[in-house]
Amino acid sequence: MSNLNADETVVVVRDVCKEFHRDQLTIPVLSGINLELSTGDYLALMGPSGSGKTTLLNLIAGLDRPTSGDVIVCGQNLGQSSEGELSKWRSRHVGFIFQMYNLIPVLTAYENVELPLTLTSLSRRDRDDHVKAALEVVGLQDRMDHYPRQLSGGQEQRVAIARAIVTDPTLLVADEPTGDLDAKSAAEILDLMHRLNTEKEFRKTIVMVTHDPNAADRARRILHLEKGLLVSEVTDNRTRATVQ
Amino acid sequence: MIPAKYNLRNLRVRWMTTLLTVVSTGLVVWASVLCFGLTDGLQYALKVTGHELDLIVLRKGATDEIGSGIEQKVAREVASLPGIAKDEQGQPQCSVEFVTILTKPRRNNGGTVNLIVRGLESVGRTLRPGFRIVAGRDIEPGKFEAMTSRSMAARFENLAIGEKIEVNRQYFEVVGYYEAAGSAAESEVWTDLRDLTIARKTPAAVSAVCLRAESPEQRDALVALLADDKRFQLNAIRETKYFEDQMNQANAVQYIGYIIAGFLIFGAMFAAANTMYAAVASRAREIGTLRALGFPQGSILLSFLFESVVLCSLGGLIGCLATLPFNGLSTGTSNQFSEITFSFRFGPRVLAQGVMLALVMGLLGGILPAIRAVRLNIITALRER
Ligand SMILES: Nc1ncnc2c1ncn2[C@@H]1O[C@H](COP(=O)(O)OP(=O)(O)OP(=O)(O)O)[C@@H](O)[C@H]1O
Ligand SMILES: [Mg+2]
Repeated sequence: MSNLNADETVVVVRDVCKEFHRDQLTIPVLSGINLELSTGDYLALMGPSGSGKTTLLNLIAGLDRPTSGDVIVCGQNLGQSSEGELSKWRSRHVGFIFQMYNLIPVLTAYENVELPLTLTSLSRRDRDDHVKAALEVVGLQDRMDHYPRQLSGGQEQRVAIARAIVTDPTLLVADEPTGDLDAKSAAEILDLMHRLNTEKEFRKTIVMVTHDPNAADRARRILHLEKGLLVSEVTDNRTRATVQ
Repeated sequence: MIPAKYNLRNLRVRWMTTLLTVVSTGLVVWASVLCFGLTDGLQYALKVTGHELDLIVLRKGATDEIGSGIEQKVAREVASLPGIAKDEQGQPQCSVEFVTILTKPRRNNGGTVNLIVRGLESVGRTLRPGFRIVAGRDIEPGKFEAMTSRSMAARFENLAIGEKIEVNRQYFEVVGYYEAAGSAAESEVWTDLRDLTIARKTPAAVSAVCLRAESPEQRDALVALLADDKRFQLNAIRETKYFEDQMNQANAVQYIGYIIAGFLIFGAMFAAANTMYAAVASRAREIGTLRALGFPQGSILLSFLFESVVLCSLGGLIGCLATLPFNGLSTGTSNQFSEITFSFRFGPRVLAQGVMLALVMGLLGGILPAIRAVRLNIITALRER
C-alpha cells in the first residue's frame, strides 16, 4: 500500500468489464472502462438510467468486484481482495453518501456518526472528539441527540456526510446524494461536498453519481456513461483527461 | 462490533412482535421449568426415601405394603435375624409396621383421595431420613394419636394439629407435624402400631417390616436368608428398588411431559426464528449499509444472534421468575394406591436448565436468520427500500 501524497493517484480503473448473471442470462453492464483519479479530484458520473453508473461507483467503492480488469484504489487491488479484506479496506478508505441517507433509525445522529469509529481502536474520548468535530463540519452539533426521524431530509444527509468523513477516508462516494432533496437542501449538500473537496484540511477525492446537471457542474470532471461505455468527458483546466 | 444498543433499541421499536415472542418463549420456559421442578421434586422424594442399607420385608408374592400381610408373631422374629444394625441402646433397627389406606376428603372440596395411614413404633421413625418433629409433639402409644407433615395437613381435611381423623369410627387426634427430608414419609399419616391395628381390628397381622442392615454385605445376606426360609414365607426387597418400582408410573407421566415440552420448545423456537427472519427482511438496507461502512460478516452474524438470544432470554427470565411462586409448593401425584406429596424444587440447577433452554432457543432460532443476514448481497441489500 502506498503513501498518499498530494496529487497522487487514488483510483485506477483499467479495462474493467462487469457482467451480472441472472438465471442463465449474462447481463453485460460495463465494458472496457478506463479511468484515473488523483487526490482532490471531484468526478461526476452522469448518464441515462441503467447505463451502469451505480455499478461503476460500487466497483470503485469496493462493494463489488469486476468481472475482468483491475480496480486499484488507495493502493489496493480490489478485484483480488477477499470479502473480509474489502470490509476492512472500506472502513479505512471510503466514506459513503447514499441517496436515501441510510442512517440507522434507532441510533441518534451522534451514534450514527460514531458507528464507523467503533471499527477503529480509538478510545471513547477520541471517538467523542471526532464525532463532535464531524458534526460541527456539517453544522449539526446541536442536533446530535436527535433521531433520524426527527430530522429533515437535508439534515439527515448532512449527518450521513458527517458519518462519511468521521474516519477521515481518502475517498468519498456519493450515489445521487441530492436525488431525494429539495433545491435548497440540495444546494447545501453540494456546498458541503465542495468544501470537503477544496478545503485544505479535507481535500477529499469525490466520485458522485448524479442526474442533475447543476450538481454535476460543481464537480471538476464530468463523465458520461452510455450502455456501459464512457462516451464523453468534460474537464476543467485543473484535471488531466484520462479517458481512452 | 455493532453496538448492543442497536439490537436492544430495535427490539424496543418493534415492541409488539418482541412482546409476543417473549411471551411465547416465556410460557415455554415457564412450563418446562415447572416440569423440571416437578421432576426434580419427585426424584428427590424418591432418592431420599430409599436408604441403601434398608430392606422392606413383605409377605412372599406381595409387591407392596398394602398387598402384604404378615403375622405379627413372625414379623417380630425378623428382628432377631443376624446382620441388623443396632441403635445406641442396642435395640435392632427393625420396625414392624401396619399400613392401611383410607379415602379422605381434600380441603377446599378437592374431592376424596386415598390416604396412607401407617402404624409404627418409635424405632420406625428413626429409620426415616431426617425425621424430626417441627410442630406439636410425638405421638404416645395407647392414646390414639396421629401425626403428619405440614403439607398433608394443608391438603387434607381433619389433619391439622388438634383435629381428629377417623379410622373405623376410632378417632385419632393429630398432635404433631414432622419432616422427613422431603421423602415419601411426608405423604403419610402416622399413628402408633398397636392403636392402628386395634382400630382396624386386625391385632394379629401387620403389613411389613422395615429394617436397616449393618452393611451392604449383611443386607444381601439377609435378602438371601429370607428368600430361602420356607418357614417365614417372606420376601425382602431393597428399599431403593422398592421406591423405584413404585415410581415407574410417575416416570411414564414424566416422559409424556418431556415430549410435550419438546414440541412446545420447537414451536417457540419457530416463533423466535420467524421474528428474526422478519427483522432481517425489514432491515436489509440497514444491513447493507453496515456492511458498506465496513462491518465484517462475523459482526453481522453476532449482532443478529445476540438479538435473538436477548429476545429469548427475556422470555426465559420472565418464565423462570413466574415459576418462583410455585417454589416449595407441594403437590401430589397418584401412584397406584395413594397420593405422594412432594414439592416443586427450583434449585439453581433447575433454573439454570430454564436459562439454558432460553439460550438454546435463542441460538437455534436465531442462527438461520442471522446467516441470511450475513449472506445478503451488499448491493442488492442497499437497493432495498
Ligand atoms: N445485482 C444485479 N444483478 C443483475 N443486474 C444488475 C445488478 N445490478 C445492476 N444490474 C443491471 O445493471 C444495469 C446497470 O445498473 P446500474 O444500477 O449501474 O444503473 P444506473 O446507471 O445506476 O441506473 P440509475 O440511474 O437508474 O440508478 C441495469 O440494467 C441493471 O438492471
Ligand atoms: Mg444508480
